[in-house]
Amino acid sequence: MQAIRTKIRPVAAKFRLNPVRHHGGPKISADAPTVQFTFVNPHPSQGKSAADEKLTVTARIGETLLQTAHRHDVDLEGACEGVCACSTCHLIFDEDVFDELEEASEDEEDMLDMAFALTATSRLGCQVKVTEEMEGMEVRLPAATRNFYVDGHIPQPH
Amino acid sequence: MSRINLIRRQSNLTKKSYYHSTSISLKPKISVAIVGSGPSACYTAKYLSSTLKQQSKKGLLTGTNIDDLERVDIDIMEKLPIPFGLVRMGVAPDHPEVKNVENDFAQLFAPSDSEKEENIESSIEFFGNVGVGTDVSVEELRSLYDVVVLAYGCESDRKLGIPGEDLEGVYSAREFVSWYNGHPDYVHMGEKFQKVLHDPRNSSVVVVGQGNVALDCARILAKGRDGLNDTDIAKHALEVIGDGVKTTTVLGRRGHVQGAFTIKELRELTKLGDTDFIVEMSELEAGNTEATQAELDGKGARPKIRIDKLLRDAAEKSGSASSKKEKQVKLRFLLNPTEFLAKNSDHTRLGQVRCERTKLEGEPGHQRAVGTGGFEDITADMALVSIGYKGVPLPGMDESNFDFKRGVVKNTHGKVHGVENTFVSGWLKRGPSGIIGTNIVDAKDTVSSIIKDLQNVPEDEIEGRYGLQTLLAKKKVQYVDWDGFLKIDKEEKSKTRLRTDSQPREKFTNIDDMLKCL
Ligand SMILES: Cc1cc2nc3c(=O)[nH]c(=O)nc-3n(C[C@H](O)[C@H](O)[C@H](O)COP(=O)(O)OP(=O)(O)OC[C@H]3O[C@@H](n4cnc5c(N)ncnc54)[C@H](O)[C@@H]3O)c2cc1C
Ligand code: FES
Repeated sequence: MQAIRTKIRPVAAKFRLNPVRHHGGPKISADAPTVQFTFVNPHPSQGKSAADEKLTVTARIGETLLQTAHRHDVDLEGACEGVCACSTCHLIFDEDVFDELEEASEDEEDMLDMAFALTATSRLGCQVKVTEEMEGMEVRLPAATRNFYVDGHIPQPH
Repeated sequence: MSRINLIRRQSNLTKKSYYHSTSISLKPKISVAIVGSGPSACYTAKYLSSTLKQQSKKGLLTGTNIDDLERVDIDIMEKLPIPFGLVRMGVAPDHPEVKNVENDFAQLFAPSDSEKEENIESSIEFFGNVGVGTDVSVEELRSLYDVVVLAYGCESDRKLGIPGEDLEGVYSAREFVSWYNGHPDYVHMGEKFQKVLHDPRNSSVVVVGQGNVALDCARILAKGRDGLNDTDIAKHALEVIGDGVKTTTVLGRRGHVQGAFTIKELRELTKLGDTDFIVEMSELEAGNTEATQAELDGKGARPKIRIDKLLRDAAEKSGSASSKKEKQVKLRFLLNPTEFLAKNSDHTRLGQVRCERTKLEGEPGHQRAVGTGGFEDITADMALVSIGYKGVPLPGMDESNFDFKRGVVKNTHGKVHGVENTFVSGWLKRGPSGIIGTNIVDAKDTVSSIIKDLQNVPEDEIEGRYGLQTLLAKKKVQYVDWDGFLKIDKEEKSKTRLRTDSQPREKFTNIDDMLKCL
């Protein structure tokens, strides 16, 4: 049988179904000052082999970590588009970095309560802005999946 | 045994050693059908496609390579002409920011220019207005596709099973939510709601259950027109709810630390302008057993601790408040509904909810509500039962693959028991719990199982998308593709339909009206 060719749609600008009602983070221009830091486990769906993977990126000071992540193809979800309504942009900081971050708002704390695999140093990537002090830090995406297709582990029924 | 695996395509199934081989040749093209188009369907499609692409780059899949795989087609079947399941039909109209996720899902169907050269081509298509089990059967899908994923959510309710549940005025929260969100199948409920709530400002509603759905119902009932005019709540709902219901009581069998609600939704109730939020300190104390204390000390207790504090603050405030606002939402604990009682004036209609007071017994994390023998009757013109959505089986499913008690498909990490190449994801897999984001982890789990099983897919040619289109044409089913949905979407947002400038859309509540847009 012939492979079915599906019609290829004309390439459009990023498709938006709903208008952005709220701003998902500030607009920081490309020539803003930058810092470099490292995302650990940037592609969580690849399982264990990827959990120690690291990706060092250049981040613009003032943008949110969610924005940094998306510019560098880090698989950090942002289901609500950065308006603190979903907790899918959950990131885990090292304690010393965490302690220096601007305090979370009540809204962020409320959303964090729903985050998957919450830790004591968790924050929402859409609510934390890049600062000078982040130079050289490591920030981790929570592990999101068991992974038997790499290490051969066969899952047991619940 | 009447399973859904009536049609097996095992002719070419070659038994390949899985963990020891280093190279497995997959078919060049894999076709996947997903039933449902809610978050779990969309996330399953998203991660199946992205994981295959990433794994093929690395040659990592199952420690083998999948270089042979050239193309993945994923077809999403939805019984309504419009996609996204409960994001549209569940999530409250006054939570528009939660619905932003539709933009992410829309990317799946309309590839943007950021799409790069990939080793694997993948295309995801929408087949709206195609009911599985009605328009096409699972058996038919299984004969047309390599893999079938069930992600059709929960279309029924758990029942209390107490006397009076069939009185006029007793409904499920799911019916109420579907109705105010404009679901075409629930428009007819409006007449019933209208009848029992004919004078909202003098009405009382009891919501049984303490999850976020119950709180959504209470908030919508309290807000009324003023608070909801700018949302996408269906017009017919505003007409019935009017200026909001005078008293809404949300009650649960257990204590406030055992509730299933989350703090964000609770906090919203404390901030309703013209509505008092009332919590009784005595009820919080009554639930404060030693075991409850232990639950508040335990690992992962942070959300509970914060809820405990919020409710204690609210209780103190409602104790001292001299302010008597026009409307009130009461959150009550340790009350177990035992009977719905009819009005004295009309024996067919709800008048009160009889509740037995309970106390908590048992170990931390496993406390049960035990009756005390004391009763309280709460006046109610309407009661909404909100103790959980429940999945329903498709024709042909039986005990071997469907858990009738829990309303979920029996599975191991998303692989359906006893049925080849069939998987499940989302609420139908784990039951009605969690937020939209929970479906991400859940979908990844199912995707892992699918990928692990891909080598078991028979090598014979199957018809996939083309076959489905042919079948639908033969059956005269008018399906709605993505471009069709976009036309409906555009029409819903057209200025002439909207009551205010900031209303995001006025939904069509009738399938024929949707199809007229095509
Ligand atoms: C009232 C309510 C409010 C909620 N609010 C929030 C919130 O604010 N934030 C949040 O994060 N989460 C919220 N949730 C949770 C969230 O909606 C769910 O986690 C999520 O929708 C589950 O996704 P699903 O794909 O499993 O099911 P669903 O979203 O229910 O999708 C199932 C889809 O399958 C379709 N379908 C059913 N039967 C068939 C069939 N036979 N053939 C074809 N298609 C079929 C349905 O029409 C539906 O589109 C809410 C849930 C409810 C009930
Ligand atoms: S993107 Fe939704 S909370 Fe951050």
